[in-house]
Amino acid sequence: MIWRYVIQRLLIAAVQLLALAVLVFFIIRLMPADPVARLVGFNASPEAYAQSQQALGLDRPLLLQFSDFLGLTAGQPGGGLLQGSLGESWESNEPVADELIRSLPVTLELVSLSLLVSLLLAIPIGMYAAARPGGAVDKGAYVWGMFAGSQPDYWWGLLFILVFAFTLGVAPAPLGRHDPLLLPPDPVTGLILVDSVLRGRWDVLVSAFGYLALPVITMVFTVSGAIIKMIRQNTVRALSSDYVMFARACGLPQRTVALYALRTALTPTLTLVAVFFSVLLSAAVTVERVFSLNGVGQYSVRAILNFDYPAIQGAVLAVAFVSLMVYLLVDILHAVLDPRSRSH
Amino acid sequence: MSAQAAGGALLSATGICVDYEGKRAVDGFSLEIQRGGFVGVMGQPGCGKSTAALALLGLVRPPGRITAGRVLWQGRNLLEMDERQLAGIRGSQIGLVTQSPRSSLHPMLTVGAQLVRVYRAHTSASRREAREHALEMLRLVGIQEPARRLDAYVHELSTGMAQRVVIAMALCNQPALLVADEPTSGLDVTIQAQVLDRLWEAAGQLGSAVLLVTQDLGIVANYCDRVVVMDRGGVVEEQTVHGFFQAPRHQYSRRVVGLQTLVSASSPQPDAIRNAAGPEAEDVLVRVRGLRKVFRVPGRTEPLAAVDDIDLAISRGECVGLVGESGSGKTTAGRCILRLEDPDAGEILFAGKALHQMRPVELRAERARMQIVFQDPLDSMNPRWTVEQVIREPLDLATELSTGERRNRILELSRATGLPLDALERRPRELSAGLQQRVAVARAMVTRPDFVVLDEPTSALTPETTAELVGLLRDLRGRYGVAYLLISHDLTTIRDACDRVVVLYLGQVVEEGLTEQIFGAPRHPYTRALIAAHLSADPNSRRVDQTDRTGLLGEIVPVSESLMGCRLSPRCPHAVSRCRAETQSLEAQADGRRVRCWRALEGDLE
Amino acid sequence: MAQTQNGSTEQLMRPAPSPGIGARVLLWFGLSVAASVVFLAMFGPLLAPYDPREATGNVGVPPPSLAEWPGLILASVTGQLDAHPHWFGTDFYGLDVFSRVIAAARTDVTIALGGALLSLALGTSLGLIAGFFRNWATALLVRISDVLQSFPVFITAMVLVALAGRATGNIVLALCLVYTPIFLRLTRAEAMTQARRGYVEAARAAGAGPWYIAWRHVLPNSMVPALVQLSVTIGFAIILTAGLSFVGAGVQPPTPEWGLMISQGAGDLNYGWWWTSVFPGLAISITVFGFAVLGHALEARFR
Repeated sequence: MIWRYVIQRLLIAAVQLLALAVLVFFIIRLMPADPVARLVGFNASPEAYAQSQQALGLDRPLLLQFSDFLGLTAGQPGGGLLQGSLGESWESNEPVADELIRSLPVTLELVSLSLLVSLLLAIPIGMYAAARPGGAVDKGAYVWGMFAGSQPDYWWGLLFILVFAFTLGVAPAPLGRHDPLLLPPDPVTGLILVDSVLRGRWDVLVSAFGYLALPVITMVFTVSGAIIKMIRQNTVRALSSDYVMFARACGLPQRTVALYALRTALTPTLTLVAVFFSVLLSAAVTVERVFSLNGVGQYSVRAILNFDYPAIQGAVLAVAFVSLMVYLLVDILHAVLDPRSRSH
Repeated sequence: MSAQAAGGALLSATGICVDYEGKRAVDGFSLEIQRGGFVGVMGQPGCGKSTAALALLGLVRPPGRITAGRVLWQGRNLLEMDERQLAGIRGSQIGLVTQSPRSSLHPMLTVGAQLVRVYRAHTSASRREAREHALEMLRLVGIQEPARRLDAYVHELSTGMAQRVVIAMALCNQPALLVADEPTSGLDVTIQAQVLDRLWEAAGQLGSAVLLVTQDLGIVANYCDRVVVMDRGGVVEEQTVHGFFQAPRHQYSRRVVGLQTLVSASSPQPDAIRNAAGPEAEDVLVRVRGLRKVFRVPGRTEPLAAVDDIDLAISRGECVGLVGESGSGKTTAGRCILRLEDPDAGEILFAGKALHQMRPVELRAERARMQIVFQDPLDSMNPRWTVEQVIREPLDLATELSTGERRNRILELSRATGLPLDALERRPRELSAGLQQRVAVARAMVTRPDFVVLDEPTSALTPETTAELVGLLRDLRGRYGVAYLLISHDLTTIRDACDRVVVLYLGQVVEEGLTEQIFGAPRHPYTRALIAAHLSADPNSRRVDQTDRTGLLGEIVPVSESLMGCRLSPRCPHAVSRCRAETQSLEAQADGRRVRCWRALEGDLE
Repeated sequence: MAQTQNGSTEQLMRPAPSPGIGARVLLWFGLSVAASVVFLAMFGPLLAPYDPREATGNVGVPPPSLAEWPGLILASVTGQLDAHPHWFGTDFYGLDVFSRVIAAARTDVTIALGGALLSLALGTSLGLIAGFFRNWATALLVRISDVLQSFPVFITAMVLVALAGRATGNIVLALCLVYTPIFLRLTRAEAMTQARRGYVEAARAAGAGPWYIAWRHVLPNSMVPALVQLSVTIGFAIILTAGLSFVGAGVQPPTPEWGLMISQGAGDLNYGWWWTSVFPGLAISITVFGFAVLGHALEARFR
């Protein structure tokens, strides 16, 4: 039953990804941008222009380019999407896939850590606020949600740097993932925290935590208010529900009643995880820039500003893949936890 | 124990007050309950009866608060106990049955797991023993296939079944007192009778006293020993059930009891057409032949026939009742006749015109002459519009009247339906449910239609407002000569308002006849069961005093179309093998009525 | 059935939407911030003491300290000063930060309002159609909108604006594209609920056609969630507009724009010049907070 659901969802995700690949391919080529001019300079001779155009394959008909992209053209070196290749960056001439394997973990680490910290903060606060509606915590959380729920993360990141790094000196300057004087561990997963543990590089681990602190705080700052608000609402709903009152009327111990409420309050929170993962992926683009982190956000900014088509396609597909997988995982967990979503 | 020996009361509450953000919902409620008694609590909606009942367990819905009073239980004040002490009493000594069973059970846990938890919270039973006990409890409250139901989730249960589970949970530790808050609101009469019978029997077996909150006089008359009447948050009357019906004291009590006698004294329209088989050809306003509507249900391979080959005729000015349990297809039939839903087969002639062949545009032009009143009056009105806008809409859509004529027509109808003048300026939600339904009737009548379908018009109303609405409908029929198709599961409404009655079961007509034929001498087993399950407000012929209460078994379950034989046979107490083998047809009888049951036709059931 | 019978208690039991903070206070605060920002957007360039695009020659002047402000304000009102003070200091090029912050309100608010209103119009219309007329075409529309919504908005907007050309109109269109799904989803959900309500059926029974019902009944009753969302979306749109220029994919220099100013000011932090990035950020922060409060106040009022 559940497997059928998983397979069905995986197929849908695959179709969506393919549709997105097609969409991205054509949209960026229909835009009025001129990548050749960007690459050779606006004063280049027509010959140099034509040569560059040919080198990029942009002189070929659009459909042929598309077949190159998908990997349907015979005898094509390196293959295309269907062979698992995302092409080579026009900027660095490196395979886009290799570049993404370096940059994606940086973003994933930042985003998941931020989400985890946000949830660890928001769940107890949201529930406490719901348990004492109108109390000080509730009011505080409400104002907080209103204020921080929509704030420019890039500006708050700069403020935090100004205060904590430049003025107070308690945090490191925004120079990447760890002390630039330390040699990073050889990548295993690409996640610096995990790799430094795997390689026993405790100096890097400590440094990385320090360097991650401000970016994570920035992200948590902007996203936790909204999460608190939604957890509060779900909990208020669960606490005022008939089944909680009936459980009390049946003389169930307080702990059991609390678990009854917890279960229904937190299951919808799962859906939030997916939504906020996507929100944080957006925020990562600017936060990475503030803190000089070479994640996929920074990568896509560079690719887009350079009109580096293969890199744009690769970055968009990578981000889409991650979001789709998170949505899928959350939906499956939801189906496991909530019998109602299983029955139809 | 000493307090009990002295006062004899099981529970005694004094001076309970419950506040909702400054508004007082219960105001000085006091009550004593004796061992083993069956007490009914009555009162108008909003009088605080449910809130007071919950407060007896020290419970209150958020954001309310119990601000004063005490509840003495075995000499100790419940309202001064902490949560732990309360948890020891709730569910073990005092049980609660709630009004909305489906939302009272946890949506993500199986029924069995919840029952086991409640039992184990108050006993030292092992998991296995608790499961055994849970099974036994489900059997006690009359759940079929209890072992399978233990693993069901609440969304897989019908409301009636969920209510039985709730009762099982409330009774599983043999409480000395059971508080039941409108336990059967929203259930069909047949299921209501089953549930209450089981509740009555189980409470009797376990020796529990019962406090039953209800506004149904029938329930009070048939099950309760004592009656408590509440008004504005306090008790205003308390006496035995016989005393209550003979000499009600409070004005509310006098009104509701008076209603019963008033209604049953009045007879149907004297000048109405008295032909059991339906009108003669020349009088016919609506004629339906072979009406059929099927629905595709997800998860079932076969489509389900909600309406299956219905023939019906209604003459001008006649009121025909359509009855049956929910799921019998009566609402779908009504909607198909007006073509609010497109039937799959059959013909509908309205004043000689073939409605079933009309295109949407032609149909819209016809709508002024046939109207409908819906079950939930508030839901059927645009919340942003004033009452006047609501009533005017059909005029705007279907007539060419001038603004002044429209205004006059609206005023005329609001007078005829007894709306206060200032109601026209208000929004529907600011009116009481009774007035809302009057607005709905005014809107249906404003274009002076020949035919109005009334789809469960009284189900959102109190018994009092129901009686008023029935009177209003009769009035309007006299004044405008309109014909009604009255769809209802409330037999009192049908009996008081209709000339003829058509009984539906699973989309088929099983019996059709004059109102007094159907109510006086029902023939079909289904009609008999419906009438038997109907709780009349007469404490002298109580249902619980009768030795034989066998009615229908179980609940309405859609049967496969390929099933040969009578559709009622799985539930019918009179079914024999021939019933399951032969398809039943609707046969006319000498007295004009039609019955779909060979045993009834052969007189086997008399 | 149970609801109507116990309407009074049901209403009492509904949990309060805000924990006892007066909706009236919120409404006035939000409205006054929103009104001031719109006022600045209309007249800001006229009020700016310096030309926001012209260098003053004073490079990297810090703002006067808080203690000097009252005296300076008094002096400038009474006209005792030869030159306007640089309230917020000047930047690397010698541009007056105060004038640029004020002038930027026009850029940011115009773009954000344009994008939000356009997506409101498009989203509610499509949402109404998708919720009321349900067929394969509207199902496809909803599917596309869902996929669009699940993708990080910032990246979508960045791709569109950078490749289409970093013009104001393109930013508005990109905002419209990323925010339309929100309004579509909200309106559709509400329209689906409303379409099942009895009054829609009653209108049909009275002889109304589908478009009449959609327009007269369903739309007015389905707009509330979208309208409540509008205010919050304007705030988000301002953050996104400024964020795009912050990463270099939005409006082009030397247009006065908050995000662009923060981006340029970020480098100044190394010299200890905090004012070039803090003041434009403060402008965004307050503006967006005002719209968020307004949104919460409307939510408390209408739900």
